[in-house]
Amino acid sequence: MNTEPVGVVTMTIDGKPVKARAGAFLLEAARAAGIHIPTLCHHEALEPYGGCRLCVVDVTEEGWDGWCKMVIACQFPVKDGLIVFTNSERVLETRRVVLDLLLARCPDTPLIQGLAARYGITETSYQRNPEPTDCILCALCTRVCDHIGVSAIATVNRGIGREVAPPFGEAPPDCIGCLACAEICPTHCIPYTTSDSSRTIWGKTFQMLRCPACGRAHITVEQARHFAGHGGVSESYFTLCDACKRTQMAATFQRLQALPTASAGGGR
Amino acid sequence: MNGACGVDLAPAEEVLQRYPAEEASLIQVLQDVHRAYNYLPCDVLTRVAETLHVPLAKVFSVGTFYKAFSLSPQGRTIVKVCTGTACHIRGAVQLLDELCRQLNVEPGGTTADMGFTVKTVNCVGACAMAPVLIVGETYHGNATAAKVGKYLRASGGKADAN
Amino acid sequence: MRIESFAAFEGYVEDARARFAARQSEVLVCCGTGCLANGAAAVAEAFAAALEGAPAQVKTFTKRTGCHGFCERGPLVVLRPAGVLYTKVKPRDVAEIVDKTIQGGTVIPRLLYKEPVSGQRIQHYQEVPFYKHQTRVAMRRIGLIDPTDIDDAIAHGAYRGLVKALTMTPEAVLAEVAASGLRGRGGAGFPTARKWRSCRSAKGERKFILCNGDEGDPGAFKDRSIMEGDPHSVLEGMIIGGWAVGAHEGIIYVRDEYPLAVVNLTLAIAQARDRGLLGSNILGTGFDFDIRISRGGGAFVCGESSALMRSLEGKVGEPRAKYVHATDRGLYDLPTVLNNVETWADVGAILEHGGAWFAAMGTEKSKGTKAFSLVGKVKNTGLIELPMGTTLRQIIYDIGGGVIGDRPFKAVQTGGPSGGCVPEALLDLPVDYEKLTEAGSMMGSGGMIVMDDRTCMVDVARYFLKFLTEESCGKCVPCREGLHQMLVIFDDLVAGRGKGGDIERIERLSRGMQLGSLCELGKSAPNPVLSTLRYFREEYVAHVERRECPAGICRDLTTYEIMPQTCDGCHACFKACPVAAITGKVKELHVIHQDKCISCGACYDACPTQAIRFLPKHEMAARGVA
Repeated sequence: MNTEPVGVVTMTIDGKPVKARAGAFLLEAARAAGIHIPTLCHHEALEPYGGCRLCVVDVTEEGWDGWCKMVIACQFPVKDGLIVFTNSERVLETRRVVLDLLLARCPDTPLIQGLAARYGITETSYQRNPEPTDCILCALCTRVCDHIGVSAIATVNRGIGREVAPPFGEAPPDCIGCLACAEICPTHCIPYTTSDSSRTIWGKTFQMLRCPACGRAHITVEQARHFAGHGGVSESYFTLCDACKRTQMAATFQRLQALPTASAGGGR
Repeated sequence: MNGACGVDLAPAEEVLQRYPAEEASLIQVLQDVHRAYNYLPCDVLTRVAETLHVPLAKVFSVGTFYKAFSLSPQGRTIVKVCTGTACHIRGAVQLLDELCRQLNVEPGGTTADMGFTVKTVNCVGACAMAPVLIVGETYHGNATAAKVGKYLRASGGKADAN
Repeated sequence: MRIESFAAFEGYVEDARARFAARQSEVLVCCGTGCLANGAAAVAEAFAAALEGAPAQVKTFTKRTGCHGFCERGPLVVLRPAGVLYTKVKPRDVAEIVDKTIQGGTVIPRLLYKEPVSGQRIQHYQEVPFYKHQTRVAMRRIGLIDPTDIDDAIAHGAYRGLVKALTMTPEAVLAEVAASGLRGRGGAGFPTARKWRSCRSAKGERKFILCNGDEGDPGAFKDRSIMEGDPHSVLEGMIIGGWAVGAHEGIIYVRDEYPLAVVNLTLAIAQARDRGLLGSNILGTGFDFDIRISRGGGAFVCGESSALMRSLEGKVGEPRAKYVHATDRGLYDLPTVLNNVETWADVGAILEHGGAWFAAMGTEKSKGTKAFSLVGKVKNTGLIELPMGTTLRQIIYDIGGGVIGDRPFKAVQTGGPSGGCVPEALLDLPVDYEKLTEAGSMMGSGGMIVMDDRTCMVDVARYFLKFLTEESCGKCVPCREGLHQMLVIFDDLVAGRGKGGDIERIERLSRGMQLGSLCELGKSAPNPVLSTLRYFREEYVAHVERRECPAGICRDLTTYEIMPQTCDGCHACFKACPVAAITGKVKELHVIHQDKCISCGACYDACPTQAIRFLPKHEMAARGVA
């Protein structure tokens, strides 16, 4: 029986009692308790995806007679009385199969090589990809692009032919050049070039805006326009770069602090 | 391509008028548009994206996900070989081989004169008549490799000289 | 004309019944997709033309019906009231039928069904073994009515179940469905009443009733037949479902490859709306429910319920985790009930005759009847409906007539790409959800594919893997990469490139896919592999260790030769060979040229004297034969 305040559940993870906020997913509850569960397609800022399957865990409940169900921690809701095993033999075996398959697909990718090695796999049991790629199809790039409200790229085709690409394989008309996709990619497989004058990604070239204060080219014209539109501010808000905005704000606060206060002694 | 496929957008506009301008209409719209053009031209996809308020990348994603759609022009007559299980064990492989041999194409390909496109389909539900060949709208049950030429000629479509 | 009340409905039924009963006689021509593929449209036209002109009181009406089920013998014609069944009817037979049978009252023996063992000709369709053993519930009206005429459906009982349901409370309707023991007929067999109850108690005003018409299992076509042949049975079931759970919107998802089903369903919806059986204020009860159709885009994965819902939302068909049930958050994240076509077709009959009636048939845990499509190397291919618990032997031999050419039975594949192969030793298995699963297969959609000794089980497993690699949505690693790598191993096996450890790799990868995949497509993809390994392991061993295909099917491992002592020069093999690899003059010994032979086996199948045998390629090579 749950005697905790409403909104808190108690579970057992690897024999350890863990409390969690009702409505949370198992992964965040485990991490908050210092229990490590590996992931590849997960990111705190985005909705869980359930594509890599690395975060599989075995769960059971009282009255199930020890029968376990394998679920992915990133999408499984916490439940009072849940009993979780993050490293049962079949959990480990499933993770090994996943990593073995990924190593076949991405044999030259350090992130995958490292993860697989940690699970005892140095060479894949399967056919090495004749055209090795660094893309693990975690879709973090397309998901963050959706999240920002741009949706310039998406997954294309299905099955083994699936890939991330812009429409028609050409410069995506909706891309704003924000580089979120490249930065979130865990294997850094999205190439781009950026300089003071221009930026190119996905075959599209953008003009850069330079900060009037420090002269650094920090944002594309399209990105400023997009964020201005969403934030309800004018585009000029984004001309100043973040660092200089902070410097200006700090200077403003210093000036305010130096002013004599209206009520140094008492009264209003 | 660059969005300059040069097709007349009028048939696409006509289709778009029949459905609510929202994402849920996407697949039905693409099907009707595909029927009108015999494939999905790129500037039509752009127009669909604008009208339904769906990002172009997602329209393209849907267009490449579903096998009913072709993003390149198809032959005037589509020949479908059913490769369902019953058809497979009753000789669909030989049927497909013979068809591709006579038309000089690979499965999924189109003849040079744009007369025929050969496709495989995963079960049309006429399993008792396996193997099944569909030429245009005509179903041929208990099809045999020996009669492939006859089926093609009956369709009136032009085949490559072979 | 709108029917405004239950009383008006009763009157309408009486009128329709009387009108059809007044017909002196009818010719029912099967116009399901199968018979249409064999020229049934021309037969129907010939009858209509020949029978035109007679005065209405004595006229014989021509009716185009849905699938009769006995597809092997089509085009099929049934004459009422006599009940005579004619098979393989051609347009040129029509004049004779009109003359001798309709007007003359005599039968034409050559068109009657001939019982294969006794050679006896059977007149009455109900005496034909194929029909005799059937108990048709979901398919109760198919073959009897014109699916494009709602009055014909109503005269034969359509919407009686709905009327009954609307006089009951939703709770009482749920209880009736629970009493029937109805389980989902799409494959998983989930208890229908339990699903409906969850949706009823889910929070929210707006709920959906969905019909899964995406029948993607190759070899299954029962849903197609129901949607084409009796669309009203589906509509009726969905309206009852809406009443029971509190939903007002229904959508039928029909796969793109079933155009006739879309046409007949669209027509049925329009006619039902017209009569006030669909739409607002159904039969004057104040209950609103409407149905629309949505076509699939060509994706097997959209038969999975969460992928189907994404497809309805205009998205790619990617399934999602089922930790939250669709009955709470389904289409547009709203409470949704999704059931299969056959399940909906059963609902109307259950409300009409009562749950207990349905539960009196079947086995302890699998109540009622089930539709099966019996196809492959079986003599009587077609569509049948039987009580659960009928054995595989009864289905394949008593109804199916046994294996074509009386060749040895090898296995029957059930459950489509998620199912498995059941060998001869288990032919007395009563067919129900649990028994099939225990045997390593599953019920699936009801497709039963009979295989003979000329089937390589490794090739069968490879076939299903190839099918699934093209249908995987590609979202999760175990399915996308796992299916691809499994197919790589199987491509090697059938080509003679198998190596030690392959079987162990297959088993390990299978376990990983079963446990790690996101949806049932990936989780059940190893089933055909594991079940063929379970019952036919020696075939796998032969492929890996000896580079041999015992069934003589894998072309890279097999070749053919003509045995001189048996060949009588009949020339059949010469005619059958697609690549002219055989030489020989009539009445002289024929020879297969190994350099041209593609090992397709057409000559072997064509030879009437068993003068051709197959052997492993390496054996032939060892002889030094060119």
